[in-house]
Amino acid sequence: MTTADKALSTGAWIRRFADTVRSTQAQLTALDQQVGDGDFGTNLVAGTAAALVRLDTLASLDARGAPGDAAALEAAATAFLDEVGGTSGPLFGLLLQSLAASVTELGPTTPALSRGVAKGLAAICRVGGAAPGDKTLVDALAPAAAALEALPARTRPAAALDAAAEAAWQGVRDTARLRARMGRSSYVGERAAGVPDPGAVGVALLFASAAGSVEDLTPYLYASCNPAAGHDVRHTPSGSPPP
Amino acid sequence: MAPYFVNSTDTLVSDALAGFARAHADLLTLDPDHGFLTARTASPHRRVALLSGGGAGHEPMHAGYVGRGMLDAACPGRLFASPHNRQVYEGSLAVARAEGVLHIVKNYTGDRINFGIAAERLAHRAVPCARVLVDDDLASDSEEIAAGRRGTGGTVLIEKILGGAADTGLGLAELQELGTNLAARCRTLAVASAAHTAPTLGEPAFHLAAGELEYGVGIHGERAKATTRHHPLASLIERMTGELLGALAPKPGAAAITLVNGLGAVTLLELYAAHGELARVLDARGITLARSLVGDYATALDMRGFSLTVLLAEPADLAFYDAPVHTAALRW
Repeated sequence: MTTADKALSTGAWIRRFADTVRSTQAQLTALDQQVGDGDFGTNLVAGTAAALVRLDTLASLDARGAPGDAAALEAAATAFLDEVGGTSGPLFGLLLQSLAASVTELGPTTPALSRGVAKGLAAICRVGGAAPGDKTLVDALAPAAAALEALPARTRPAAALDAAAEAAWQGVRDTARLRARMGRSSYVGERAAGVPDPGAVGVALLFASAAGSVEDLTPYLYASCNPAAGHDVRHTPSGSPPP
Repeated sequence: MAPYFVNSTDTLVSDALAGFARAHADLLTLDPDHGFLTARTASPHRRVALLSGGGAGHEPMHAGYVGRGMLDAACPGRLFASPHNRQVYEGSLAVARAEGVLHIVKNYTGDRINFGIAAERLAHRAVPCARVLVDDDLASDSEEIAAGRRGTGGTVLIEKILGGAADTGLGLAELQELGTNLAARCRTLAVASAAHTAPTLGEPAFHLAAGELEYGVGIHGERAKATTRHHPLASLIERMTGELLGALAPKPGAAAITLVNGLGAVTLLELYAAHGELARVLDARGITLARSLVGDYATALDMRGFSLTVLLAEPADLAFYDAPVHTAALRW
C-alpha cells in the first residue's frame, strides 16, 4: 500500500509539515534573505511549533487520543493566525482555516481539499491583494488549486495532495523567473531575479508533507525533470481511482 | 540627542496603554491578553460596532477616540506598526453588535493585511464585518504609488461622523457607504520643519537644514517628494489649501469641516495662526467653514509639523459631527 492509498489524517499531515519546516528552516531562511527580511523560516517554525502544542492538547482531551480531521486543521489554523508575526504566517493560517471549514462540511475528501484550497486562495488574494504572477505564495497556491479542481471527486485525498504538491512545485520554479510587484520581494527588484519565492516554497512544502516530510529543498527548486527523483517523497501517479 | 522618558523603548507602548487605561477608567477598559481597548458605554441605538486601530505613535489616535459617540474599540499596534490580526479579531468579537462590526482602516499595506485577515476570521465565525478605508493624504496621490494614498489626520473626522451616524441606528452597509463617501470627500496635506525623534536611536529620523520644509511628509516620517524652502505662514497655508481644494473640487457654497492638526511638537499658537489663514483662504474661495478642530489629534511622535484636513460635508454629516461625544480626546 503506498502513501497515496491511505486515508488522510490531517493531524499526521500537520505533524509531518512541522518536521519538514524544521528540516528546511535554514534553506528557507537563506532564500528569504535573498529576497525578503529573512524571517520566513523562523515564522513557519513558530507556526508549526504552536500548531503541535495545540494538537497535543487536543489529543490529550480526546478519548481516541487523536483529534478529528477538521479539529486538527482548525487548531493549526488558529496557531498560525494567533501566534505568528509578519504576514505570511497568518496567511497560511487563512488557508488552513478554509480547509478546516470545508473538511468540517465534507469530511477529509478530495472535494473538501479542492474547495478549501480554492476558498483559501480567494481569501489570501482578497487580503493581500496579490494575483498570480506577483511572485508571492499565490503563485504556488493557484496552480495547486487548479490541479485539485481538475481531479475526479473520487480521487483519494492523498493522491490529490500529491497532485497539488506537484503543481505547486512547478509554480515555485516559475516564480524564479518573475519580478515581484508586491510582497516581500518587491523591494529588492532585480536582485530577486532567479530566486524562487519563499512563501510559494512554503505552500509547496505544506502539500508535499502530506506524503512524507521533506528534508532538502534543492531537488525541488532547481530540478528540470522529475523533481522528486531520488527523494524520500513517494510520487504516485494521480488520476481516477480504481473502479 | 533628545532622549525619550521611558523605562525602555520596548515597553513604551504597553506602559502608556496601562497608564491611559487607568487615567480614563470611567470611559474604557484595556484587554490585558490582546491589548485592545473597549468603550464602557455606547448608545443603545447602535446596531454596528465601530473599531479602528493602527500603529502607536499617533496619540491620541486611536485610543483617545474610544467612548460614547465614537469608537467601540481601538487596537493599537507597536510604534508605527500595524496591530496584529489577533488583536483586531478578538477586539471585534468583544464589541460586535447584532449587525456586526465596521473596521475603519488607514490605507497602509500592513494595516490592510492584518485587518483583512481579521475580517476573514470573523467571516469564518459568521460575524458580519465591513471596512472603510481612509486614504486622505494628498501627498501620496500618484499613479506611481500602487498602494494608493495613505490614511492620515482625516481619519479623526471620519471616525467622529461615523460615530454619530452609528448612534442613529444605521446598518453595516449604510455606515460603510457613508464612510467610503466621507473618505472620498476628505483630503489632508502635512508639512514638517523637523523630523520626529526615532525612539530607539534618540536621533531625528531625517535631517532638514534650517529654513527647509518637508512638504507632504507622512505621519511615520515618510519623506516628501520634495524638500522646499520655509515660507511665511500665509503663503504656505494658501498653497496647501489651494492644493486640497484643487483635489476636492468643491462647488461654490460647499460646507467644509477642517482639522488643523499638530504632529507632536508644534505649539497651539502656530496651529491657531494656521487655522486663521485657512479660514481666510476658504472665505475667499466661497467655501463655508462649517466646523473646525484645532489641536494635536493624529500625531507623529514629536514631529515638528502640522497637517491640514478639509472634509466637504453634507448637511447630514454636520448633524452626525455635532452629536454628543465623550472620549479621552474629543468631548462635546
